Amino acid sequence: MSGQKKVKHHMSAMAKREERTGLLFVAAPAIGFLLFMLWPIIFAVLTSLTNWNGAKGFQGMMSKFCGLNNYVKLFSDRKFWQTLVTTTIYLIGIPIGMILGLLLAMGMNRKIPGVRILRTMYYLPVISSLVAVSILWAWVYNYDYGLLNVIIKTLTGMHGPNWLGDEVLIKVAMIIFMVWKGLGTSIILYLAGLQNIPRNYYEAAMVDGANGWQKFRNITLPLLSPVTFYILVTTLIGGFQVFVEVQVMTPNGNGGIGYSAATIVFYLYQKAFESYQLGYASAIAVILAIIIFIITLINFIGQDKWVKTIE
Amino acid sequence: MKKRIISIMMATALVAAPFTSYAAEDGSDDVGAQITVDENATQDVTVSGDYSDADLTVFIYAQDHEKAVYQSLIDKFTESTGAKVTFEVSTADEYGQKLLAYKSAGDMPDIFYVGPDGIASNVDDGYLLPLDDYVPEETVADLWPAIATAYRYDGSEVGTGSLYCLPKDLSTFAFAYNKTLFDEAGIDYPDPENPYTWDEFVEVCKQLTVDKDGDGEIDQWGTANALQWALDAFVYTNGGHFLNEDYTQVVIDGQQEFIDALQFFADLTCKYGVTPTYEQDVALGGYQRWLAGQIGFYACGTWDVAAFMDENTFPYEWGLCAWPVGSTGVSMTRNGSVGFAVSADTEFPEASAALITMLSTDLEGQRVLSGETTGSSIQIPNTMSYAKGDYLAKVQDGTIPYGDNVDVIFNYIEGTDKYKGIFVETTYTYNADWWTEFLNGGYEYMLQGEETAAEYCERMQPIMQDALDNAIAMKEAAQ
Repeated sequence: MSGQKKVKHHMSAMAKREERTGLLFVAAPAIGFLLFMLWPIIFAVLTSLTNWNGAKGFQGMMSKFCGLNNYVKLFSDRKFWQTLVTTTIYLIGIPIGMILGLLLAMGMNRKIPGVRILRTMYYLPVISSLVAVSILWAWVYNYDYGLLNVIIKTLTGMHGPNWLGDEVLIKVAMIIFMVWKGLGTSIILYLAGLQNIPRNYYEAAMVDGANGWQKFRNITLPLLSPVTFYILVTTLIGGFQVFVEVQVMTPNGNGGIGYSAATIVFYLYQKAFESYQLGYASAIAVILAIIIFIITLINFIGQDKWVKTIE
Repeated sequence: MKKRIISIMMATALVAAPFTSYAAEDGSDDVGAQITVDENATQDVTVSGDYSDADLTVFIYAQDHEKAVYQSLIDKFTESTGAKVTFEVSTADEYGQKLLAYKSAGDMPDIFYVGPDGIASNVDDGYLLPLDDYVPEETVADLWPAIATAYRYDGSEVGTGSLYCLPKDLSTFAFAYNKTLFDEAGIDYPDPENPYTWDEFVEVCKQLTVDKDGDGEIDQWGTANALQWALDAFVYTNGGHFLNEDYTQVVIDGQQEFIDALQFFADLTCKYGVTPTYEQDVALGGYQRWLAGQIGFYACGTWDVAAFMDENTFPYEWGLCAWPVGSTGVSMTRNGSVGFAVSADTEFPEASAALITMLSTDLEGQRVLSGETTGSSIQIPNTMSYAKGDYLAKVQDGTIPYGDNVDVIFNYIEGTDKYKGIFVETTYTYNADWWTEFLNGGYEYMLQGEETAAEYCERMQPIMQDALDNAIAMKEAAQ
């Protein structure tokens, strides 16, 4: 430590200039983080301790201090729990999307004709506007004119179900849509992961007489575990923040029959921007952030047990 | 028919956002993009006064044609008075969020929109300037009484006290019928002077509900109104109400007038079968079905008239009639409005008041917005003298295209012994969360006959009361 100090004392003018320039470069993201991440987080926590409705700026907010009242109310709020459960149910789509993504990536990791077109097609939903594809899928699910029910009627002769007008089916519909929307990302990441696995591992396994399943189980899956971990963490975080799909796909943007499709962020939005209960909405946001933090922490703690690297 | 439905759906999906505080709740979209405003339309506008020191910001939501009219009026104002005006326009969807950002930042525009339901909360929070000392009495006297009442507040009750807004518009939600379908069915047109009773309404609707192409499925219905904006017309005419007189208690549980009205509304679908089923309604809303000529009776807001008179949008003959009457014998519906308010913090109250007076009541501006100049009526005039004079005459002589029986609109606006338009109860509570709870409770099960109105009211009352209590607490905290 003292050695480092000594070196600093003897820095040349040029080195000092370079250090200052370096600090300036570091300052940009650091100030950005402080202003646009840390301060809003602190602000949200402060807001959650008030009954603020947006009036009269910061002073107006602090004059409406109510302690932990919002949190107490939150725990007996029927809609909060309902939307939290619905949000959790939507997470079912994550493992489904990962399994499908892996299978499709393995399929596309071969030299088959048209594979580039296929890869592009699967990735298109990722780069498409979420609002646009949500509108598209709302039409796919339309009771009378939707593609899905037309296919069902053609195949079975019976009218398909009311996808967006039923408490259970609307959740199924949302999950299918979210899987479709996220599939491209999983495929691309798994494809990159697959192509990073050295071929000689498989050749050695073949010499040892391993069959396809054994190679998949003991080479592919473990060596893809860092990718799996990355997808799991990012999709879980994203999964807790679903909003647009609910807003666009539910009839009249009402959160579905009996609020059955509404997510926690959808509820948060309604509280903040329709009821102007910014304090209460911030309390929801803080609880949501804590939930996401805990789940991400568990993931990171648990990763030692199943995430392997080539080294 | 299906091709036509799809083309209507695509067309309506492309148009812009609503223009009044509740304009698009009926699933309608306006025809704003089709209305062209002559840039000289307001050339005769005059305004006096020297406000050369004033530097005003106006923040509203508007569609292109409305923006053009207001921009033109503002230009005249700046020319005549020397004031500087910054005009910021948002979409209706984004307006609330942007205004909230202004409020949070403590930097309010001098002039902005507030609806009757926002008067109490905005005054309590100290945002609105009372206009009593700034707007001439004769100007207020020429406004529809319903408007003047809706924008008054005395610190505890909306409807009395100081005036806080001048109207951008006053709308009402009348009822319309498709004359072509009546002719085909050989039914007499509704008589606006003798509104149907509920029983008579059901009978007419049954005659209009038919399988036109003989494929075994109903493809034309008597009516198709969504609960969120049509229920009022059944509840209030039956003497029902959601809240008690001082708006502190939700009183729907066990209230027979309310329950009967709600049950009747549900029965139109699940018992009488004179509306599309719940599933069909989710697939294609009533508004699109009305435009496609599948519906006999449908709601018609004042903003809908231009669209319904446009042959490409609605190629049918139509007329206005009364919503059917319940036990009170008076046909009732909801009125709506949004108004120009002046910030309590403005440095230029006189200039701001002069400008909103011009935007709200200037005759040339009103001629454009109410359709005399453009031929497309999307609102009735704000000033009674013009509305009942030139405007009405020009509707009746066909200069301004309108459906039959324009008197129905005026009856709801002014009130008669058979008609009454009201501002719904959310206008008088701090927020509308209790109403949102009513809508989020799964009323759709009633429409499917899986729950009765009495059961729904019993289930929802405590939930709505919680939301109302919360709103009352918020109001007390603000005061």
